[in-house]
Order: sequence, then C-alpha cells, then structure tokens
Amino acid sequence: MANNHLTSESKQLATWYFTFAAIIFGAQLLFGLVAAIQYVMPAFLFELVDFSIARIIHINALVVWMVFAMFGSVYWLLPDETGIETVGIKIGKLLFWVFAAAIVVVVLVYLLVQVGPADETTIWFITEGREYIEAPRWADFGIVVVALGFVGNLFLTGMKGKQTGIVTVLMADMIAFAGLYLAGMFFTDNISVDQYWWWWVIHLWVEATWEVFVGAIAAYGLITMIGAHRKTVEMWLWIEVSMLFGSGILGLGHHYFWIGTPEYWWEIGALFSALEPLPLVAMFIHVLYDWGKTQGSQDAKGEQLSVINNKPAFTWFVLNAFGNFLGAGIWGFFHTLPQVNLYTHGTQFTSAHGHLAFFGAYATILIGMFYLGVQGSNGIKVMKNTKLSIWATSMITGGVVGMTVALTIAGYVQVLVSRAQMGATWAAYFDGQSGLWFVQAMDWRLIMGVVTFLGFVLLATDLLRTGKSAVHER
Amino acid sequence: MIETIIRPEIALDDFLPIFVSSAFVLVFGSLYVGVYTAVKVNMLKKWMMVFAYFFWILTCYMLYIMGSLMHVDAFTAKALVVAMVGYLMLPHAVYYMQHRVHEENEHCDV
Amino acid sequence: MANKSVWSDNRFWQRSATWVTGFASVLLIWLTFDTSAQISMGDDADLKNGVTKRVPGPTVINYKITYEMDAKRGHEVPVIGEKEKFFGRDDYSEEEAGALLHLGKLGSQAKNCMDCHTLLGNGAYYAPDLTKSWLDPAWGPEGSMQSMTGKDTKEEAMAEFLQHPSQYPTHARMMPNLGITAAEAKGLVAFLKHMSSIDTNGFPRNFGKIQGAVHGK
Repeated sequence: MANNHLTSESKQLATWYFTFAAIIFGAQLLFGLVAAIQYVMPAFLFELVDFSIARIIHINALVVWMVFAMFGSVYWLLPDETGIETVGIKIGKLLFWVFAAAIVVVVLVYLLVQVGPADETTIWFITEGREYIEAPRWADFGIVVVALGFVGNLFLTGMKGKQTGIVTVLMADMIAFAGLYLAGMFFTDNISVDQYWWWWVIHLWVEATWEVFVGAIAAYGLITMIGAHRKTVEMWLWIEVSMLFGSGILGLGHHYFWIGTPEYWWEIGALFSALEPLPLVAMFIHVLYDWGKTQGSQDAKGEQLSVINNKPAFTWFVLNAFGNFLGAGIWGFFHTLPQVNLYTHGTQFTSAHGHLAFFGAYATILIGMFYLGVQGSNGIKVMKNTKLSIWATSMITGGVVGMTVALTIAGYVQVLVSRAQMGATWAAYFDGQSGLWFVQAMDWRLIMGVVTFLGFVLLATDLLRTGKSAVHER
Repeated sequence: MIETIIRPEIALDDFLPIFVSSAFVLVFGSLYVGVYTAVKVNMLKKWMMVFAYFFWILTCYMLYIMGSLMHVDAFTAKALVVAMVGYLMLPHAVYYMQHRVHEENEHCDV
Repeated sequence: MANKSVWSDNRFWQRSATWVTGFASVLLIWLTFDTSAQISMGDDADLKNGVTKRVPGPTVINYKITYEMDAKRGHEVPVIGEKEKFFGRDDYSEEEAGALLHLGKLGSQAKNCMDCHTLLGNGAYYAPDLTKSWLDPAWGPEGSMQSMTGKDTKEEAMAEFLQHPSQYPTHARMMPNLGITAAEAKGLVAFLKHMSSIDTNGFPRNFGKIQGAVHGK
C-alpha cells in the first residue's frame, strides 16, 4: 500500500499493520488448506508438518492477523477521532517491528522445531501447547510489552485530543483486551484450573472485548462512510457495549459446563449465552437503521446519489453485521444450551461455528478497514467496487459459508454416531469419522477451502491494484 | 429415600429439529426487528408492520418447539415466556429513544 | 432543545454500560472465587478418607476409577474404588504421584496434544477425545490395544503406544511420532488417568455403554 496521500504518521503506521495482517491472513488460509487436505488424505505431509502443526499455525495466524489489523484500525481512526496526531508514534513504529519480528520467530519455531521435551524449556521457548495461545512464554512477555505500548499510545492520544465516545469505548476495551492476556500466562498441573483461566483469555476476547471493538469500528465506519449522525451512532454504541458485556462476560459460563467446574454454570451459561445473540441483532439493526436514515434524507433532497463513499469497505461492513449475527449468533446459539452441548461439545459443530463466527464477526470488518486504508492512502474521494473486489468478496464469503455448511453436516454425523449412540469412546470417534456423510462433508470442506483461498488471492490483488484504478472519484 | 433425578435423554430423532428450530428462533427473531426497523426508517410501507409481528409469533413458536424437544424444566419455560414478552417490547423501546435523539438533534444543531 | 430526556442523553447510556459491565465483572469474579475453591486439587488424605473432590489429588493413580450413573445427579460421575496397581505399584507417595502428573501435564503441552485431540472436550477434532480415555474399553482387557502392543496392562499398552504411535496404526489417520520418552509416556498416562477422575458433570454421556452404532443415521 503505497502512500503519498497520507499526512498522518498514525495512518502510515496503520497501513503497515494492515499489510502485515494481510500477509499473515494468507498464511492462515494456506495452513488451513494443509489441515483440510489431511482430513481427506491423512498421509499428506505426515511426520513433516503434522495436523497439529498445521492447525497451530492456522489458528495462531488467525489470532495474530486479527490483532495486527485491530491495532492498525485503531491507529487509522485515532487522528480522525481525536483531531491530533497519535502521541508516541515513534515508539508505536518501533513496537510494530518488534511485534512483527517476534511473530516470524514464533512461527518458524512452530514449523521447524514443532515439539520439545516435557519440561519448562519447551514452555518457555517452543510451545505452550494451549490452543490459540500456544505462543511460548518469552513471546507472551513480548506481546505484553507491545500491547502496553499500544494501549499507552491510545490513552495518551485520547486524553490529549478530543475524546469521542468511540475513543472512550476503545480505551476501556483495549485495556481489558491486553489485560486479559495475562490470565493465560501461567502453568498448572490442574487441567480444570488451566482451562478455567484459558477461557478467560479466549472467551473474554472473542465474545466480549473483540465484539465491543467491532462495535466501535462499525460506529466509526458508519460515520466516515455514510455520514451517519455521530450522536445516534454513539448512543447505539453505548447500548451495544451494555448488551455485549452484559451477556458476554457471564456467557463465559457456557465453556464451564464440562471442564470440572460446578453444575451451577449450566444455568448461568445457558441464561447469558442465550442473551448473547441480542447485541448481535442490535448491531445488525444499527447498520440497517443508519443506512436507511442517511440514505432516506439524501433521497429526500431529490438527488439519486448513494451516501456511501467506499463501496467495497461498506460491503464488508454490511457482511460483518450479517455474518456476526449468522456465525456468532445462529451458529453459536444452536449448540450453546447444556442439554444439547452435552452432545455437541468437542465436535465439528464447534469448528463450523468457529469458522463462520471468526469470519463473520472479525475478518469481514477488518478487510473493510483494509479498503478504508487503500482509499485513504490513494486520496480517493468515492471508492467503487472493481470486478476483482466483487469476485474476491463473493468467493471468500461463499467459500467460508460452504465450509461452515460442510462442517455442520460433519458435526451432525458426529453428534448422532459418536456421541448420542456410542458415547465418545475411541471406537465411537472413528465410527463417526468414517461415516459416508462425514467423509463427503470433509471433501466439500476442502473444496470450499480452496475457493476461499482463491478468493483471498483475488482480494490481495485487488487491495494492491485498486488504488490506481480509474473507476474511483478522486 | 434419595430423590432421584432422571435427566431425559434427547431422542436421536430430535437432534435435527432442535438444531433447525433453534436456528429459526434467531432467524425469525432478527426478521421481526429487521422488518420493524425497515418500516420505521421508511424502507418498507407502514402496513408491512404486520409481518414484523407475524415473525415475532413464529419466533415464539420455534422457541416452544425447541424448549419442548429439549425437555426444559418448568422454571426455564417460564423464563422463556418472559424473554419473549421482553423481546416483543425491545424494539419499541429502542425506537422511542432513537426518535427522541433525532428530534433533539436534527431540529436544533443541523 | 426544550425537553432533553434522560433517555436520549449519551451520558446516561455511558453510565449504564459502565454499571452493567461492572456488575457482570464483579459477579464473575465472585463466582471465580467459589469455583476456584471447588476445583482446587484434593490430596492424599481426601482420597484415604473418601472425601469426594471434583479434581482429586495426584495419588488417585493408586486407585481403580470407574464412570457410573449417579441417580441423584442424573448423569455419570467418576467413582474412585479400591486400590489398583499402576505400572506395578499402588503405593505412590504424594510427591511421586505429583511429579508424575506434573511431567504428564507438561508433556501434554510440550507435544501439542490439544491440537489434534480434545481434552475435557476442548482442542482439535482430528483425533479422539481424551477426557475419559483411561476408561476406554479399547484399552481394557477385552480391547484391541493390549494385544496389539503386546502388553498385559492398560498403562503399559498406553505408554508403549505413545512412544511408537506409528507402529500401531488404528486408522488411516495415524498419530505421529512425537519423540515421547519412556519417562514422559509414564507421566502422560498418569495425567490421562488423573483426568478421567475429574467430575465433568456427566460429559461425555453414555461413555463406553453402547458398543455398536447404526451408520449414517
């Protein structure tokens, strides 16, 4: 993303973050493909890059590219919101390189060293072996330092410049986001205690602080892209924050049904996670509402003009509103109640939900931010969709939805055969895995994964090229 | 004598209807507020509001199917009824407030 | 603006958000204290005195563990029975058993178990759930794994398999060789046996009760 139109250093830094995020996004999809191939052909790369390694990189790259894109988004919007240049931007730039270098080292160690002996050195230098936060302990400390620097920049800028509602929400949210990581930085022999705190990081990130982050970014997007009324948008944002934290914090209970924790988590988890879709509906309605309102007042002026000044970004923002509801809401809700979760816990259902929710809730809006970055760095006034943007959007969305449907079918087979009928033994597991429907679902998942990956290639090409295209109004 | 609780098993044939009905709870639920919103911002005609309430009724019905197949207990059943009444009122409350915000802003500072 | 109502004032909503978040957080912290106390690991005295802990002490490896329907709770719970030999001994001290469990838990992380298997139902779905694997009929006297590995006990069969997994393929999807040593394998088996004694509120349901299933139903 070349940038001769960016006068703000904060925005330049944002484009660095976006660029690195997009590269890691590609790595995520690539190793996802390896894992998907291994479901169909287990001998593929056996004892070279085993499923566990492919999957670690798949899910860690997912977390990392999203965190990078989130940091980038904040650096992007700070000058607009606060009206000043980000405080401590030099340190911010230094930390970017530290962060990026650390990530590269961690990934190379995953790939080349893979596993270590059962002692503390492995935990410190190779892998912590805890899903999503496998990063070794040294990297944990690095991440904490980088996150503190980032939060520092955000706070100093927010306090010095204009502290809008959006900035206030981000300040509170980002400090919680960084602080929660600490809950995942210790070792214990007690696996129930281990998973109890592990979920503090995972759940309170993706079902609380990240969702609030998305709310804030969506609010910013509605103001910048369609000129929605700030007061209305921020009022919605505060309501969304109440609903998200009100349901999401105790919704944590739905992870505590079966890990050794007391039975009262059934009621708490069921109640609050049943409420979790509500804010997602609200966020969806919010976009619809603001779009309808602003377009309505534009139409009232008698001009047939669209109020949207960045079509591809807005498309991704709308996909976000819809995908968040579909992936996190529907796909989450239908296996969240303990009566059903007893049978679906630890099956491909979770995987189906994970794919659609991470994509719908986060990937979409962050890709939207990439397009805002391209628009800004090329000095484009009204950005249009190119053929390539439309193809990329359709293929990625279609591919992820296809994978989700395939995984849902696979999960359904697993629930019936491996769980309800045979009770989760070794034999039950493999009986479920060899069922015809399961096997075919995995074939389709791979095909849809390839579609997604091709879509990503188009997306990357579009992000690199569209800035120079003549279709946009400058 | 010890009190014996037998937690009812979910019948094998009930899994699919449970998954489908719970998905539809949210689909119809969002259609209710979606149509409601669209009417409020004049994207749809006024009389379409009938459909909003129709979707709310479907939401309740889907939740009823889901609850009975999962054998929820009496307390949960009552909680679900309260939740649906609350959900019926929710968009009314939200748009009452939105209306006030617009009244106060668009007529003064713009 | 004559009548500015409280509802349309953003400060009201900001405060509401703060209060809701604060209340939910405080409730979560309070529940965390309660849960932490309930899931702290028991000790040898608890086991000797028959005190039921949700997470028993490491010396649970000296005992036979079964998974039985509890009529009062309406689901299966692990039951700790009489003494049972584990690698030829049933008198591991608290320190010895603790060290084994420590080694096993470290091993489970150092070998990335969770990125193929599920532990307590969490992890990846590429390989079987390990929550109650210690109780799996496949490893029992009638199961196939003891004869396949040429061992006479469950723990020895498991340890042998863990050290040379690709020599004993059970499915086209094989476990790779992860360089697990004999000592690490022993620790891992202790870790698995301990995990099977954790009270998981009846997860998984009907474990090992039904031996055959109707395909593609």
